[in-house]
Amino acid sequence: MKNTLKQVFHSPKFLVGFCIFTSILLMMIIYPLVNPGNPLEMIGLGTFAEPGTYVSLYDSVGTKTSTLKLDGADVKRIDQVLSGEDRVNMLNWFTADSIDISGLDITDTDTLLAMWKANFDPSIRLQGMTKAMRNYYIRLNDNINAAASADILTVSEIDASTGETVEKAEINKTDYVNVGDVANVKTLPLGTDNFGRDTLKELVSACGTSIRIGLIAGTVATFIGLLLGLLGGYLGGFVDDIVMFFTNIFTVIPSFVLLILISYSISQDQRGANTIAIVIGFTSWVWTARSVRSQVISLRNRDHVNLSRLSGHSLMRIILTDILPYIASYVVMAFILQISSGILAEAQLSLLGLGPKTTDVPTLGLMMNWAMLYSAHLNGSWWAYFPVILTIAFISFSLNLMNTGLDQVFNPTLRD
Amino acid sequence: MKGYRKYFGKKILWLVITFIAALLLNFTLPRMMPGDPVAAMTAKQAQGLSEASAVKAIYDNYAREFGTNKPITQQFFTYVVNLMHGDMGTSFSQYPRKVSNIIGNAIGWTLALQFPAIIIGWLIGNLLGALAAYIRKGFDKVLMPITLFLSSIPAFGMAVMLLVVFAINLKVAPISGGYGFDMLPNFSWNFVVSVIQHYQLPFWSIVLVSIGGQAVGMRSMSIYELNADYVKYARFLGIKDRRVVGYVFRNAMLPQVTGLALSIGTMVGGALVAEIIFSYPGLGTTIYQGITMADYPLISGTTLIITVMVLIATFVLDIIYGFIDPRVKAAQFD
Amino acid sequence: MSKTVLEVRGLTTKYITRFHEDVYAVDDVSLTIEEGKSLGIAGESGCGKSTLALSLMGYYFAPLHYISGEIIIDGKSISGMDPDTVRKTVLGTEIAYIPQSAMNALNPTCKTRKFIQDVIHAHDPHADNKQISELAESRFAELGLPASVLDRYPVELSGGMKQRTVIAISTILKPKVLIADEPSSALDVSSQKMVIKMLRDLMDKGYIRAMIFITHELPLLYNVTDDIMVMYAGQIVEKGTAREMVFDPVHPYSRGLMHSIIVPEQGTRNKKLSAIPGTPPNLKKPPEGCRFAERCKYVVPQCRYNTLPMIEFEGTRTYRCGHSIQHLKEVYRCEDE
Repeated sequence: MKNTLKQVFHSPKFLVGFCIFTSILLMMIIYPLVNPGNPLEMIGLGTFAEPGTYVSLYDSVGTKTSTLKLDGADVKRIDQVLSGEDRVNMLNWFTADSIDISGLDITDTDTLLAMWKANFDPSIRLQGMTKAMRNYYIRLNDNINAAASADILTVSEIDASTGETVEKAEINKTDYVNVGDVANVKTLPLGTDNFGRDTLKELVSACGTSIRIGLIAGTVATFIGLLLGLLGGYLGGFVDDIVMFFTNIFTVIPSFVLLILISYSISQDQRGANTIAIVIGFTSWVWTARSVRSQVISLRNRDHVNLSRLSGHSLMRIILTDILPYIASYVVMAFILQISSGILAEAQLSLLGLGPKTTDVPTLGLMMNWAMLYSAHLNGSWWAYFPVILTIAFISFSLNLMNTGLDQVFNPTLRD
Repeated sequence: MKGYRKYFGKKILWLVITFIAALLLNFTLPRMMPGDPVAAMTAKQAQGLSEASAVKAIYDNYAREFGTNKPITQQFFTYVVNLMHGDMGTSFSQYPRKVSNIIGNAIGWTLALQFPAIIIGWLIGNLLGALAAYIRKGFDKVLMPITLFLSSIPAFGMAVMLLVVFAINLKVAPISGGYGFDMLPNFSWNFVVSVIQHYQLPFWSIVLVSIGGQAVGMRSMSIYELNADYVKYARFLGIKDRRVVGYVFRNAMLPQVTGLALSIGTMVGGALVAEIIFSYPGLGTTIYQGITMADYPLISGTTLIITVMVLIATFVLDIIYGFIDPRVKAAQFD
Repeated sequence: MSKTVLEVRGLTTKYITRFHEDVYAVDDVSLTIEEGKSLGIAGESGCGKSTLALSLMGYYFAPLHYISGEIIIDGKSISGMDPDTVRKTVLGTEIAYIPQSAMNALNPTCKTRKFIQDVIHAHDPHADNKQISELAESRFAELGLPASVLDRYPVELSGGMKQRTVIAISTILKPKVLIADEPSSALDVSSQKMVIKMLRDLMDKGYIRAMIFITHELPLLYNVTDDIMVMYAGQIVEKGTAREMVFDPVHPYSRGLMHSIIVPEQGTRNKKLSAIPGTPPNLKKPPEGCRFAERCKYVVPQCRYNTLPMIEFEGTRTYRCGHSIQHLKEVYRCEDE
């Protein structure tokens, strides 16, 4: 046993897979300690806040300021104001005004602005320009000027008793606050999802649920498959015929279809994550049963099994001591694959809208489903779906790697 | 030849048995569930309805549609007789369209999308697996982890990523549908071009996902065969390495046909979900509509058709395999 | 004196395992076979007999590697020839091989006729398929194999039939030397008999001119081959005629080996059957001195560090032991009494 484990951990493939899987598990344990709370809590109104650090605007007004005179601060400010469309429109204005624009790079804010200031004149009426367009240019010019001017912004408060506006604070363009001094700062590494929930927190929790689903499904499937495979393989004859009959049928009838039919028949409020996991387990035992059966058949007539039988050992004892240890590696390998296919099955079911009920716990499939329902992929909110896909891929990659590693250890013909 | 006939007969018998089993499951599974499926369906359909009489009307309608008020054997009999007439009931969500009509429109899209994609993925995967086994060393070390990772990406994930990169960011492919939304199916040049454009992304996402699993299997199989005794013997008879490698890959590839037969069900499942991402007008999208609209007859009909498709594909692959691999003859024909 | 067909001088080869360890399975082996003669090689499992068979082919691929020595067939050295030339002009035509496990030796998805065509085309790319078929049919008929075998897949043949087919294919190009590695070990008695008869036929009809027969079944060697060589831990320890080796073995290991079997012949009846205690040494680190020393009853301290050469005695026989021939014979005489 110790020797086998040593051999297994000497396989680089297994080791890499094991490390990836362990780090995912560690992440699941550690992250909730660092960032506790309900993963389904809606912290934001509105959908899909971008990843980043959010600073409370309200709190930063009252916070102690320092004056910093930074070069290029104005340009940066204008950069933020000028959209790509505005820049193209500025270029169009130059062209209409027949100004030479060769060599002008519209992403170079400094030059563009200098040129704009030198050439723009709101009184010029260009040939063929609509009134709306003219107004747009004037507005644009005002925005640019406002962003560049040295105005002071005044923050006021309405006095509740008098209804008068009272000046609260003045904000200079050179005023800066230290993020550390602001009372409320929230970092959302993966932004928020369509319901305004912290995506990372949700992802970590979903990852845990999905792995749990995989484990339950894998256990159920392995148990059924092991039982049927042992019975059919060891007892042979009529029992084996029956086992093989069902195994053959369920090999060709796609388990996916069975999953849809069963999950659909369970009403939404009864569909917990565990129920789904058990259903997945019940539809995916076929492979384990097949491989266990063929292994048991090859073991059945080995000398040590015959000896045990002749010694009058009970069926239970023969199976436990003379058969199970020899097929353990296959069972473990099948179990590993079943975890990963269970996670995948849950994800696919959820995408079809047949996953676990949505109010309970997040799963990777549900997160994917929400992201798709709210068109995250169409509106550029990559943080809502890409980390989910990546997580599923890494979980099954690590499990597949472990499986390949084990295969090479236990199947010497496959060794490199 | 007698052996072949026996093999063929045995396979046909299995096809029939599995078909009957599929019918039974399709019929009984929803009815075996705890609770009243008709009540559950009524609840789904009647969401937001407060008037008891309206709910009752919906319930009665469903009960009549399924004949749940009759004994279960009679229900099954009716179900089979209707099926034989090509009648799968009437869709709730697209009333009064027949389910068979909806499926008839969708099935062509799915067949044209999935089977070529799965076969191309199978071919490329086998080729890569064989190369990895033959070249080993660097190629194997770089290629295998990549294919293994590729095969770990779920089909829908691959679909979403291709969609985002090629349709949304690069704008080289349309975002959804099977053809331009402003068109009606016809045989004009424009329509064909549009269909081909819409075909690309779903097709490649299925191909890319299928490659990985096949390559990994083919590699193990080839390594196993390369170590076989006949390889050594053929070399010692002076047969050129290239020819010996030819033997090996042929022998490794043949069992992959069975491998495909055994995994086609899983692959179709993944590909159906990928269809949904692209709103491709195939069976995947149909079943999704059925589920979101609580259209039970549509779901039941689609799952049955999908099962039958997979059964037939498996059957055909089995028959092909029996003809091309002499090893099966020894194992199965006698 | 008849002509020497095969001569091997100081052949040494090694295996490289997947853990990059060297295993010296064939160490400094020399032998000669004359026209029309057969040589048996005997030894325990893992003593290097099968590796010797592979090494004698003069064509090496991983994990087997050539180190030194020379193989001369019919006066022509094949060592040092470029591998592709060996493949084309030596394998199958000068020297041929029958593998240990004929059960799996044939490509399962290739009919016999097609495989024979591939074999002949490998040496003569322009050979005509029709002529090949005629050759195959007449040869199969001559060797008592039904012509229908040609159009069968290997899986459709029984074990004995498969083995005989393999022998017929190996000798289709009339190789000068045939190396048979346990050709009959996996077969039932009647199939064994047929295989042995077939090998004799091949010799008698001149399709092969010399044969090396490798087995762990000594009685078989006594009945089949003219000379016997005993191998231990990658080295030859004794060589003589079949009769000498069975009734008068000199090396302690050969003697132990002969005592562990039953030869149905006069004069052996009274001998006690005994096994040799211990296991062969690990060839990753072969011991210095005599390799048999660990298991030898007659071991003396100098056995463990003296490197031993092959010593000739009685004209044609050779052995490898630290004790003198007189000493050994004296010891054996006392023991038998």
